[in-house]
Amino acid sequence: MRDSIFHRSTNLLLLLSATAFHHSPLAAATVPARAFFEQHCTDCHDAETKRGGLDLTALSFQPENAGNFASWVKVFDRVSAGEMPPKQKARPTAADLEKFLSTMQPVLLEAEQKRTAAQGRAKQRRLNGYEYENALRDLLSAPWLQVKGQFPDDGEASRFNKLGDALDVSHVHMARYISAADYAMREVLSVQWSQPPTSTKRYYARDQRTLTTKTLQTDLSKPPGDRSTFLVLGTKAQPPGAKLKSLTVGDADPVLREEEAVGWIASNYVTGFRYRWDGFRAPVAGRYRIRFSGSTVWVEPGKNSKTAEQKTDEKREPITVGRTQEPITVYTRNALMNRRVGGFDLTPEPAVHDLGETWLLANETLVPDPSRFFRSRPPGWKNPLMTPEGGPGVAFRWMEVEGPLYDQTTTAGYKLLFGDLPLTQVEGSAPGVLINLVDSKTSRPKGGEPAEPLSEVSVDVVSQDPGKDADRLMRTFLARAYRRPVAENDVQRFLQLVAQRRAAGLSFAESMFAGYTAVLASPGFIFLDEKPGKLDDPALATRLALFLWNSTPDKTLRTHAERGELHQPAVLRAETERLLADAKSHRFQEAFLDYWLDLRKMEASTPSTTLYNDYYLDDALAEAALAETQLYFHEMIQRDLPARCVVDSDFTFLNERLALHYGIPGVQGIAMRRVALPPDSPRGGLMTQASVLKVTANGTTTSPVLRGKWILERILGFEIPPPPPVAAVEPDIRGAVTIRQQLEKHRDNESCAACHRKMDPPGFALESFDVMGAWRDRYRGVADNKPAVKGIGKNGHAFEFHYGLPVDSAGELPDGRPFKDIRDFKRLVRADEVSLARNLARQLTVYATGAPVRFGDRAEIENILQRASVSHYGLRTLIHELIQSPLFLNK
Amino acid sequence: MKSFLPTAPAVGCFISTQRAISRRQFLRGTGIALSLPLLDSMRPAFAKEVTSGPAAKPRRMFAICNNLGLLTDQFFPTGTGRDYTLSPYLEELKAHRNDFSVFSGVSHPNVDGGHPADVCFLTAAPHPGSSSFRNTISLDQHIAEQIGVLTRFPSLTLAVNTRARSLSWTGIGVAIPPEDKAAEVFKQLFFQGSPAQVAAQMRKLDTGRSILDTVSGQAKELQRSVPAHDRDRLEQYFTSVRDLERRLQASRGWEEKPKPVVKAPMPVDPNDPAEYMEKVKIMYDLARLAFETDSTRAITLMLEGVSSPVLDIPGEKITDGYHNLSHHGKSEAKRAQLQIIDRWHMKLLGNLIADLKAMPEGDATLLDRTMVLYGSNFGDANAHTCFNLPTILAGGGFKHGQHLAFDKQRNYPLPNLYVSMLQRMGIETDQFASSTGTMRGLEMV
Repeated sequence: MRDSIFHRSTNLLLLLSATAFHHSPLAAATVPARAFFEQHCTDCHDAETKRGGLDLTALSFQPENAGNFASWVKVFDRVSAGEMPPKQKARPTAADLEKFLSTMQPVLLEAEQKRTAAQGRAKQRRLNGYEYENALRDLLSAPWLQVKGQFPDDGEASRFNKLGDALDVSHVHMARYISAADYAMREVLSVQWSQPPTSTKRYYARDQRTLTTKTLQTDLSKPPGDRSTFLVLGTKAQPPGAKLKSLTVGDADPVLREEEAVGWIASNYVTGFRYRWDGFRAPVAGRYRIRFSGSTVWVEPGKNSKTAEQKTDEKREPITVGRTQEPITVYTRNALMNRRVGGFDLTPEPAVHDLGETWLLANETLVPDPSRFFRSRPPGWKNPLMTPEGGPGVAFRWMEVEGPLYDQTTTAGYKLLFGDLPLTQVEGSAPGVLINLVDSKTSRPKGGEPAEPLSEVSVDVVSQDPGKDADRLMRTFLARAYRRPVAENDVQRFLQLVAQRRAAGLSFAESMFAGYTAVLASPGFIFLDEKPGKLDDPALATRLALFLWNSTPDKTLRTHAERGELHQPAVLRAETERLLADAKSHRFQEAFLDYWLDLRKMEASTPSTTLYNDYYLDDALAEAALAETQLYFHEMIQRDLPARCVVDSDFTFLNERLALHYGIPGVQGIAMRRVALPPDSPRGGLMTQASVLKVTANGTTTSPVLRGKWILERILGFEIPPPPPVAAVEPDIRGAVTIRQQLEKHRDNESCAACHRKMDPPGFALESFDVMGAWRDRYRGVADNKPAVKGIGKNGHAFEFHYGLPVDSAGELPDGRPFKDIRDFKRLVRADEVSLARNLARQLTVYATGAPVRFGDRAEIENILQRASVSHYGLRTLIHELIQSPLFLNK
Repeated sequence: MKSFLPTAPAVGCFISTQRAISRRQFLRGTGIALSLPLLDSMRPAFAKEVTSGPAAKPRRMFAICNNLGLLTDQFFPTGTGRDYTLSPYLEELKAHRNDFSVFSGVSHPNVDGGHPADVCFLTAAPHPGSSSFRNTISLDQHIAEQIGVLTRFPSLTLAVNTRARSLSWTGIGVAIPPEDKAAEVFKQLFFQGSPAQVAAQMRKLDTGRSILDTVSGQAKELQRSVPAHDRDRLEQYFTSVRDLERRLQASRGWEEKPKPVVKAPMPVDPNDPAEYMEKVKIMYDLARLAFETDSTRAITLMLEGVSSPVLDIPGEKITDGYHNLSHHGKSEAKRAQLQIIDRWHMKLLGNLIADLKAMPEGDATLLDRTMVLYGSNFGDANAHTCFNLPTILAGGGFKHGQHLAFDKQRNYPLPNLYVSMLQRMGIETDQFASSTGTMRGLEMV
């Protein structure tokens, strides 16, 4: 069925004719094509030899049993691919083979269809962590909500977190459904309760305690050290060599105040986040607009040997106009977590930089981080950017916050929970719901408390007629929370709970919370409701929303489902377009890439401090690498780019840091943008993106086997069975032997070679890229007998490594066609468009339907491909065709 | 992962919200056993639960992190196995030589970053220094999730000289703020709560149970219409509901039971952080008391030296701040002072071991049932390195008396020791964080 460079062996006519010898008979009389097996297979696959662990003479034929069925499919596939019988054995005649395949296939298909009719392809499943979080966000109009982390990691099957078999429910899940729902609703009450007026306020750098205490240097005869700040006025030091009475002129002189800045030369040492704006803490979760004012400066090296080894001309100004443009990443800090919320380029000319609107959580503070600067790690650090002529620094004047910005969604969550009923404070020990509030008067206690503590208020909702209100509110809530029409006995079930808790002495709000919590932890909410056969419209709407939004259906989608028109191809197509056009479709793209390409594992390895200290702590690079892949995939969907773009393209997405990494000139600034690649560039396509190259390496070494297998399974679409228990090749960085030479021995072994022939070639081609995806001609190693390459890392520590043996990235495809490097390799695989498209279609099918691609699904995948071929298998087209196919429309 | 796709306004999707846990909440959470927020710290039950009752032997763990480490040339012994030669520091533990094992050449894979790494001492979460670091569940919380319901307190999180830096992290990566006032903990352990507090807590637990009743009612109905093939998913849901109900029931039981009565007086906490060593001693005594009364089976203690001042040690002359001394830069004068401090650490540990050994429990001693883990995030605080961590495990039912030496260049994963400890606790698991197996060479008694 599959014909590609990695399985180009179904050319039946060329096979030699076979001669029959003695063979063991099959035990199971019901096996179709018995004669074929006995003639060609049981010589090796019998009880005695049991080659590859397979004894066909003992294998029963019970295709209604899933495990047994899978075994026979494997047999069918190996024979149909021409891999069995193996080359050195007698081969069946073309006619025999044809007969075998045409006998076997319908029997297997029929058996599977029978099973599908009774069960459906997909197993019933619960929402995964991503979906549950998004569903809560959308239901409660709380897009800032973060609860995914509260759940144990979801299980994976067929590589995704979407399959029922792997999505278990434990008592921990139950406990966390309860606590997450309770937490989310209390957050909604906090928003409703607080509602501080929208304001635009400036927070001057000179007023920030964290920017001005302890390490502030007013004596600039010494240069600023790491983690210290200094005063800048305009673009000069202030005041040189003397102490100021007050750090700021304050309101007395607005013109001068505008020039007052605080400067520094290091990046944030993360535990401290010294350079944060502690004067502002988001008073409530919501939307804010953030601006920063400042400039870059140029800082003299001074006499301090820690910042530069060279001596300084003391007559020069300690601080002068900046000579660089510095990328600034803005993080939030909230207790112990930091989120990236944006970035901008700080210029030598003082300017105001608008981050735009961003969601902040209650109590979050903001931290602008110059990402090129070093983060010192004692002892004996040096500033890698410091030169005899000085080095770069930043000088910030103020941060301005506009917000919280309100619209009709701000209080929509509360409206859903309690309608127009008023929220009131509870006095004394009366029962109420405890909510957390930001108290601007509290400050960080000494001893390094991670964040300013929140205050607590006990609140309740006032109802004149609790019974009636509960009834009305619960009905509205259930109708929105459940994804299909709500049964009356369910309404009563939850109302009973509310009434019972009220009787037990809980307040109105607490009792309603108990009811709502139960709804959000009930099977009706957390489980998908799909019945075998054709999905009804509500189930279809849910499947579509979970696919493209990673969330539950919105009002429009529900309306289509209620009217029973969603399954109409035109409506379904229009809804697919609408969902893809919505910003919420980013959730699909991110979640899909997190699993398909393992992007969630971007931080699972550290660059070795021995070999790759130049990547250590380089968050800006890792962030840009991740962004490149996400934006690239987004572009493929937006522009319906052909499937071959998975392996090659003439463009990609870069910012300055990533372009530098790739050696592509002319890209300046922190913003990611689409860039046309030079004609001979090895970049373009997913395989050669830094993110993919990072997640397929371990931080110290690369393995052609592991990378090759990964590429084969993710990009080219072939599964490789797990290896037999043989010793793995041990990485050796001493520089005398390359991984390739070590592998040669491995590949000499015929039983190893069968898989390695397929697995290693992509890995060999990618040997030209190091652990972070930079191009390399030579391996790095630690050979002492060679001159060292020296540098200072972002941790301020000196490092050195040696260039070792040259990289050889040549190889040959399993069909024998040679390639000399990655460019060549890409050219070869790019030509096989349909294979690349087939893989994409299969990966999307698993993700969208929550079921693996099964034997009987293959024909449907081919139909999808057939219909998408006009667009050269454009990604958007593939998505549409999948959604219109029986695979998607049936359970 | 984080989002870089153009969205306005951007929702940072990659980090969970950390609800700052206030002191009051904390006390509510840990002080009164297993209120709903604390259910947060429950994870899949890989474990077969250790049943309570006379037949069950309680197993316990006390994990101590000295976050400035110990001078390595004074700590690590020479020779390996049972015939190793005690180092100068280990001489302080000579009397207990057969009651502990010392490890060298061990560390947490990918845990780097110097000072920030102390919060990973019991979690082994990689890269505490990176800007998007997120911690994971700690050893004690893993234990608490599995067997926490067996005692009034699922776990205790203690510290000296900090109320912020914690060794205990829940499954969602939230720090449990440590308690640094022994007297407060003592009150929680042994003083009865007010009737109103108890009643409020009971109401909360009952609400949880009512919620579970309601959802299982719906599940029961659904079961009729679910195809046979999918029925096991719903069965699993039932089992989970029942599991949780059982736990809530157990918590309720603790609320009804009176707290244990002890003869020991309430400890008096020194106010001055300079009295660091006195505070350590008080915490050790408190831990012993908690184990003795079977109030909990898992305790962590962060010994925070980084922000501690010049230590005031009776009869000794210390002139420099503890943190400064740790950056001794090979100065002999500084090293000499540091050795005084380090030796006090060893002395106090020795006293703890002796006290636990002196306390009989059934046919054994408290030490036989209590694993005492002593270690640090620093291999060498002077160089800020996080490998070759000084590590001691005492008691708890292992064959001790040996130096388990591993490769100093390519360290052996310390999480393997944690797997061994979990198994010793009776928790069926073969993995913790970046472990690759159980601790090689360490056998149970």
